[in-house]
Amino acid sequence: MYGLGILKGMRVSWRNLMRGPITVQYPDERLTLPERARWAVIPLMNDDGAPRCTACMNCVRACPDGILDLSFVTREDKTKHIDTFRYEVGACMMCGLCVESCPFDALAMGHDYELATTDTACLTSTLLADVDAASPKRERTAGDAAEKGGDDA
Amino acid sequence: MTADQVKRAADAIAAEGTLVAPKVPTGLRRVPGGVDALATEHLVVNMGPQHPSTHGVLHILLELDGEEIIAAEASLGYLHRGIEKLAEHRRYHQIGTLLDRADYVSGFHTEWAYSMAVERLAEIEVPARAEWIRALMSELNRIASHLLWLGTFGMDTGAMGPFLYIMRDREALLDIFETVSGARMMFNYVRPGGVVMDFPLQAEPLIRAFLDTWDGYLDEYHDLLTGNEIFRPRVKGIGVIPRSTAVAFGMTGACLRGSGLPWDLRKTRPYGPYAELDFEVPLGTTGDNWDRYMVRMEEMRWAARLARQLLDGLPEGDFTAKVPKVLRPPAGEVYAAVESPRGELGVHILSDGSDVPYRLRLRSPALFNLSVVDEVLPGSLIADAVVTVGSLDIVLGEIDR
Repeated sequence: MYGLGILKGMRVSWRNLMRGPITVQYPDERLTLPERARWAVIPLMNDDGAPRCTACMNCVRACPDGILDLSFVTREDKTKHIDTFRYEVGACMMCGLCVESCPFDALAMGHDYELATTDTACLTSTLLADVDAASPKRERTAGDAAEKGGDDA
Repeated sequence: MTADQVKRAADAIAAEGTLVAPKVPTGLRRVPGGVDALATEHLVVNMGPQHPSTHGVLHILLELDGEEIIAAEASLGYLHRGIEKLAEHRRYHQIGTLLDRADYVSGFHTEWAYSMAVERLAEIEVPARAEWIRALMSELNRIASHLLWLGTFGMDTGAMGPFLYIMRDREALLDIFETVSGARMMFNYVRPGGVVMDFPLQAEPLIRAFLDTWDGYLDEYHDLLTGNEIFRPRVKGIGVIPRSTAVAFGMTGACLRGSGLPWDLRKTRPYGPYAELDFEVPLGTTGDNWDRYMVRMEEMRWAARLARQLLDGLPEGDFTAKVPKVLRPPAGEVYAAVESPRGELGVHILSDGSDVPYRLRLRSPALFNLSVVDEVLPGSLIADAVVTVGSLDIVLGEIDR
């Protein structure tokens, strides 16, 4: 019968009308992101508030777009002082390669997705500024100790 | 403009003669030979690059005689980003981010093709679990890609409703992709050697919930479009691509299978776990828009069944092989291809032994499928051209690269 197909389609429309919306009222209501969701890069800190970054430059080399800029000075006793660790969030494609390359878990992909801005200066953010870099050696022993402790428990 | 300039311009126009001088509109009664002598000029129309039904920035030059197309020529390059050239300046593990943006609707396939090429070049043994995760995500990605095609194809034929339902159902798939890979489109998940993170526990219930509802959704789309009396005449017998033409133009994927040639890389040159899986390849007969439509609809059903098999049989083990941080494959040449939703997506890498490829080339299935428009469109109407181009399922990011 001609028109039966259209009637069937209308039945689908009717059924979907009853199904209710799947959208949420965004600014008032927010969906939770999956754990692995990749948004802007954030630096991670130790419990005492000192950065975990050791200024090893692995992330800077891993970034396909070259948008990480880490400048530091090495003191006489081989410890490093980070002047600035700048990150051009406006050019970041959130591929996560910098986080993967970090051997000290000093970086993470954040879950802050409201990155729109009207100020071009906000397209570049400073992750770390004027802080002492963590020592790779101390970091590693502390981590190993924690792992061992966990195993014992 | 001074009076002198106007006069000179008018003289120039008069000297050119009939070419430039505007035609005097003539009424029917004043034409000596009657209506038959009213020869209409052919009109060249630019379809695109901003036309909404060209699925991106495709530009087709159409020569028209009234509503009928006399000649058609696809003009490309509006989305060219130089991905192949950029890849020559990226280390091997960084190239996946570029290739995601080549075919942005089915990123898992592009990543898989690239990873497979690098693995063959560097002779990396991939763990079975990694291959199965890749295949699982690829099949789900095939559904997502075909859903986007189905929604826009419906819109090409004038059906707005299905698009909304389809985008809603596709959302569940994008959530699964985000749970597994961390991104909804630019996954960067499949890497040379395996996958970057193990398949997460919380993704399995999501996938199972989707697969349980999927057949019902597909039946709804059939109710909305397949049986529709307005949709059927728009696609049946329109845009026929004979098998010989399809082969001559190097078409692959659903466009080739719609013409009746059983060529699917998952069957003909099995890669990954496909040799161990049980599935069929749907085929068309005449190669018209309807056949391509039905092949893709059936492919979605089979992709869901494949996904269920892959999820049930997901082997235990490592999710990646041991791959050095800076990959330096030996000098040589390699080609690897996967069956993407659009056809044979191949990656050809020429390595000189350094940490960047000397040359990387993509064999883009949509480009080959699109090249057939010059042959198929002439003789059809403009409205049918929109449907035919839609049935080819082109992604401009992959065509222009």
